[in-house]
Amino acid sequence: MLLLANIKKELLLLSRDRAGLLVLFVMPMLLVLVLSLVQDDLFRASGQAATRAVFVNLDQGSAGVDFAAQLEATGALELVREDSGQKISADQARQLVLSGNYQFALVVPKDFSHALETSAESTVRAALREQSSDPHTERLLVYFDPAVRGVYRSAVTTALQQGLLALEIKRKSAALGRLLPEELQRTIKKQLGPYGAQGIPIKVPQLDSAWASKPLVKLDEESVFADKYPTLPTSVQQNVPAWTLFGMFFIVIPLAGTLIRERQEGTLARLMTMPVSNRSLLLGKVSAYLLICLVQFGLMLAVGKFILPLLGTPVLELGSAPLALLLVAFSAALAACGYGILVGVLARSYDQASTFGSVSVVIAAAMGGVMVPVYVMPRAMQALSVFSPLGWGLDAFLDIFVRNGTLQSVLGYVAALVLFFLVCLGFALVVFQRWRRGI
Amino acid sequence: MTPSMDNDIALSAVDLVKVYPSAARPALDKLSLRVKRGSIFGLLGPNGAGKTTLISILCTLLRPTAGSAAVFGQDVVRQAGSVRQTIGLVPQDIALYPTLTARENLRYFARIQRLPGRDIEARVDKCLATVGLLDQADRRVASFSGGMKRRANLAAGILHQPELLFLDEPTVGIDAQSRNLILDRLAELNQAGMTLIYTTHYMEEVQQLCDDIAIVDSGKVIARGAPRALLAEQDTCQNLEELFLVLTGKQLRD
Repeated sequence: MLLLANIKKELLLLSRDRAGLLVLFVMPMLLVLVLSLVQDDLFRASGQAATRAVFVNLDQGSAGVDFAAQLEATGALELVREDSGQKISADQARQLVLSGNYQFALVVPKDFSHALETSAESTVRAALREQSSDPHTERLLVYFDPAVRGVYRSAVTTALQQGLLALEIKRKSAALGRLLPEELQRTIKKQLGPYGAQGIPIKVPQLDSAWASKPLVKLDEESVFADKYPTLPTSVQQNVPAWTLFGMFFIVIPLAGTLIRERQEGTLARLMTMPVSNRSLLLGKVSAYLLICLVQFGLMLAVGKFILPLLGTPVLELGSAPLALLLVAFSAALAACGYGILVGVLARSYDQASTFGSVSVVIAAAMGGVMVPVYVMPRAMQALSVFSPLGWGLDAFLDIFVRNGTLQSVLGYVAALVLFFLVCLGFALVVFQRWRRGI
Repeated sequence: MTPSMDNDIALSAVDLVKVYPSAARPALDKLSLRVKRGSIFGLLGPNGAGKTTLISILCTLLRPTAGSAAVFGQDVVRQAGSVRQTIGLVPQDIALYPTLTARENLRYFARIQRLPGRDIEARVDKCLATVGLLDQADRRVASFSGGMKRRANLAAGILHQPELLFLDEPTVGIDAQSRNLILDRLAELNQAGMTLIYTTHYMEEVQQLCDDIAIVDSGKVIARGAPRALLAEQDTCQNLEELFLVLTGKQLRD
């Protein structure tokens, strides 16, 4: 009955605190919405979907078309040639990148095919005649958005260079096929002299250039991630649980705040002169806020499942272990409430609690992969992420959402979160007991 | 001397010492006291004299550094749980939840005081009526005037009908009407058998209400007795305020 009375009182107090409710419900919903949308492109750029690039082909021959086909065949690039039904010009391409609509644009020059074929022929001819050559190097213009990150930029450059290399080999092979018989005949005639070659038809093999495009080695791609990241989440799978956990842990501020206000307003002193145990007082708060955390969690899942897809993101896939999901949510909520109680008993003022509470949650969130996924963090930070309760919660959620995790596979995370709660509550009870004894 | 087991004694303190960490001198310095059951006991003293520390120890909120104290024969440290069932506190702060209504506050404290569920509503209404707040019961405490808050604070302290009620400056900063109502109700509660320990800086209240007083300064009892008897001992003093200034001096206590 005492526990129920405490829960009811906490819920009543919270229902009267509009700012607190805003922090608890609207803030995480906004975070999930905004960050899932903002990071959707980033996650796509990280390899989940083809990168869209402007492609302007001014070439009058076939090389430009071949080059585009090479790039598109990789599946990594989606080339955009038209804007509002109109062919994009070189100037427009530059503007489109400048305005941030596209991260980069390619402009194939007018005489690209001719220059490529001429250079290929002169290079091959010089090689067959054991002469040095210095062929004309044609320039392919690439406009980059200066805001594009280095890794992304070098990945695109590598893809383009591979496409160009394939194009060059094809052109050089064709030149070799054409020039080799001609050069062989010329060499043989030259070596046999004016007599030897007379009347003898010299038959030399004709080379087909198709051999050049047949690969001898096939690249077999396999992502060598750590065991726990064999597959990567979508932006929604990453952001919904991440920012939900962030919101759940932000309960630290109102929860610690109620304890501090009770201390400052004298209600705690009054309660401490009453026949009520410390456990009942603290568990009453934990239970009420636990309920709030679970409501928060349900709302965030609904945002990921129903609202975000309306805005163009992938639907949040919840995996196939609802019980495990509930257990992870419950243990994460417990951990958040335990931490809130601990901050509440340790802080001496509301300002202290709100500053320390929010900064520590932001640090734990950053360490745990809420802001930047752990798999893109430097090794040292990945090692640190194991100390973040938000990281445990996030790993557990991702295990269920992305890797079809089961109750068994998340049990370790659940145990860690519950242990964290028990340690926090234990410390809080010790401090609370000391208050009550007036030590 | 040990705390009394006498049935007539509501409260006894023996050689109580309280030293706060990093304090230059003790807040209580071997203070001893006995308060009779059914009395209204006034605890007077300038700021920093040790009144609130003494009440905090007697209410089980603070542990003494040395000495002992008992409420109805039960040690306030070793039997704190039992002591809490017999006492009520009306603290100096308005110890209520400002965003809850008066009724919601009282309901909550009634449950914490383990009143039977079926009695709670009637008891809450009775206490609100006692302090003249029944018609304002469903207003949030934050919207109350100073006097209403003080009256609601008193109502929360008497919900469970404690045998011993501690009142720490319960009338500070309120108008004459609210003060008069509070003093009347306290007298009625005392007549019904409740022992009151009353601290205040308003000497006329003490003269009007208390049958026994102690003046405390620097953690020690410097005068003890019925107000009239104490005044009779000092011919030069016309009233309790003059007596107080004679005993504690006119220098400021900040």
